[in-house]
Amino acid sequence: MLRNYLKIAMAVLKRRKFFTFISLFGISLTLAVLMVATAFEDGVLHPTYPDDKGGRILYVNSIHKWHQTKGFLTNGAASFFFITHYMSTLKTPALIGFVSNHTGTNTYVNGRKLSLRIRFTDQHFWDILGYDFLEGKPYDKTLIDNGGKVAVISEATKEAYFGKDKPSVGKYIEADNVQYQVIGVVRSDPNTNIFSSADIYLPYSLSKVSLDSKDLLGDYTGMILAPSRAAIPKVQQEFKEMFARVPVDGKDYDHQAAYADPFLVTFTRQLYEGFGGEGPYRNPREGTGLTYFYLGAALLAFLFMLLPTLNLISINTTRIMERSSEIGVRKAFGASSATLVVQFIVENVFLTLLGGLIGVALSLLALALINHSQVVPDLHLTLNLTVLTCGLGLCLFFGLLSGVYPAWRMSRLNVVTALKS
Amino acid sequence: MLQHLFALMWNKKKQHALLVIEIFFSFMVIFALATMGVYFYKNYRQPLGLADKNVWNVSFTNGGNVASADSLAQFYHNLQLTVASMPGVEDACYSSFNIPFINAMSSTGMLIGNTSHQGIYYFQADDHYNNVLGMTLLEGRWFGKEDDAAAHPPVIINEALRKTAFGNGPALGQLTGSDKDQNRMRVIGVLADAKWAGDYMPPHISMWTRIDTAFYHGVNIMLVRVSPDADANLEANLYKTLSNAMKNANVSIGHLDDTRDSIDVQYLMPAIIFMIIAAFLVINVAFGLFGVLWYNINKRKSEIGLRRAVGASGWSVSRQLWVETLILATFGVVIGLFFAIQFPLLHVFDMSTGVYIAALIFTILFMYVLVTICSLYPGRQAASIFPAEALHED
Repeated sequence: MLRNYLKIAMAVLKRRKFFTFISLFGISLTLAVLMVATAFEDGVLHPTYPDDKGGRILYVNSIHKWHQTKGFLTNGAASFFFITHYMSTLKTPALIGFVSNHTGTNTYVNGRKLSLRIRFTDQHFWDILGYDFLEGKPYDKTLIDNGGKVAVISEATKEAYFGKDKPSVGKYIEADNVQYQVIGVVRSDPNTNIFSSADIYLPYSLSKVSLDSKDLLGDYTGMILAPSRAAIPKVQQEFKEMFARVPVDGKDYDHQAAYADPFLVTFTRQLYEGFGGEGPYRNPREGTGLTYFYLGAALLAFLFMLLPTLNLISINTTRIMERSSEIGVRKAFGASSATLVVQFIVENVFLTLLGGLIGVALSLLALALINHSQVVPDLHLTLNLTVLTCGLGLCLFFGLLSGVYPAWRMSRLNVVTALKS
Repeated sequence: MLQHLFALMWNKKKQHALLVIEIFFSFMVIFALATMGVYFYKNYRQPLGLADKNVWNVSFTNGGNVASADSLAQFYHNLQLTVASMPGVEDACYSSFNIPFINAMSSTGMLIGNTSHQGIYYFQADDHYNNVLGMTLLEGRWFGKEDDAAAHPPVIINEALRKTAFGNGPALGQLTGSDKDQNRMRVIGVLADAKWAGDYMPPHISMWTRIDTAFYHGVNIMLVRVSPDADANLEANLYKTLSNAMKNANVSIGHLDDTRDSIDVQYLMPAIIFMIIAAFLVINVAFGLFGVLWYNINKRKSEIGLRRAVGASGWSVSRQLWVETLILATFGVVIGLFFAIQFPLLHVFDMSTGVYIAALIFTILFMYVLVTICSLYPGRQAASIFPAEALHED
């Protein structure tokens, strides 16, 4: 039965090549655009390199302080003091580490300028994130405590500074007039990884910013590795309880807040907080904003698909009406409306899946082009399983949506009118 | 004739509802795109108002290791002299963090007469600042030594703020703030507007104040104008000089024209992505329209044949189809117009009505051209129908 339907579908597709082309064009390009968009979302908001722990890492990237009635509001990254004095008391996490915001500097090799982004980290940073060491190894606690002038550099920095195939471990790299000995080279990660990507990593003991301050706000992002994904809520709960005990920082403020969030939530929470808070002075709102983020993304995708879908519906209606004599004959021979509706929906889903297949090919091509052009350096977009499943789901949704209305209109067709035309 | 066709189309409204909705949505998409395009183009045509070529922006983390404010000011003053006297360097100055083309602004309010003006971009600058940035003074002068002993601190405003605050009246010599205000400032100069956020964004009302000794506690920007033949060697030299002088600082040198390019890309990129998507949507709709028209003509073969048989010319047949399509489009355009007109009426975005009107005219023209193109081929096909053949088929 199904095979019969598919055979008919093939025959119909071949008969009106122009209409088939329009339908396939619409479906395949719509899906290609959506799949490229999902690949971007996947690559930027769920990075898999260097985070090879499958989303077990939580980031403490900002601390808010505000005054409920005076309206003072400030936020910033966490301080060395906050991380070592308060965060380190947490019991549940497997590991706690930290990394600084990046600062820029230049270095000059043979009359050529290199712009370098420096980050200061502790030794656990290297255990929490799974950087691929192409050469050498990371610095450890002893090296940090001894104030060793050592550096881990990215592959891109190595290539620009020392040359592509030359070994660099043991050699010296100059930044801010200081010579650092290279002890490791890591595979570069894209700068969309806003908490980790850098050109040169140094032990925090070499940071020029004083570590003595007792302020809660500083320039470090705390990183927590949960023992398992399931333990994340427990870690967050413990963090929350710990933070509640931290005395409010500074006399101008009477409230403060900080969260340990997965990578994506660090963005959505920021967005959500921005949409006006409560109180006379718009204090930050509490909530992750994750639901709103997904709702917004879904709405955008829906709006984008609306026009192509309407188009498919009107084309399908036209196509089906064109076949009214065939419908009339089948009805006259006793086919029920339901049978006919099923047949037309099957045809349409078949057409959509065919378009989906072309769409996958197109998006593979587009992703290859994007990766090749290096719009975002070191960002490698792939069409992974999640994205493919998304695409397939969209295909079916599309097929059903654009098939149901025309099929319904067709099923109401009167046998006599249908046969007459 | 037109009325008759209108009635004909109206009678088939149910059949054409989908097409009308599609035309309406495409209208909105094109309208959004055109508004953005007109807005960008209008800003792009304005002069930049800055000489950003051969200006380097140096940012450094402030060491702050000199204790007293006076010696700190002396330190930075000497550093500026050292840099300015380097061969290949024309001038150097200090500025607040909000240099041109970066995405960071500080804004303030100001009382002029009895009117309070809010959201003024606020800059701090020294005496060499305009020599480095090369903005045009329309009236008055830039900060100088003579301001040291001024009773009221000097302030320089831009043309946009001048218009907002003083209208056609005089601006030079005017005091800001009310009589009771302690910190009244005297306007000593008016600058031509500069596009601080790059080529595609409009200038903003702005004001500059002269930096004082307290400023040097937080200074972290130096702007350097270099001669046109400056190269990487000069940059390396400058870098050495600065990082030797500020032992505890991270120093980083950028080029202002590169910064301008990157902010331009930042504004253009979303527009380009939107344009690609809109182009795809419109092609989609055009194909759909084309397909449906084509099908309709095949279905109406007998009607057209009959018209041809009673003497209608091929041209008049295809013209009828074209006008029908235009009427169909008009339904969609009218609905679109209703929604689009709300934007200038309700001031949804901070854009002038002129931008919306230009965008609306463009959008309407675009939609009619689009449907005309879609009806050309089906119309020609209809014109080539032979009456005998069409009538025979029936």
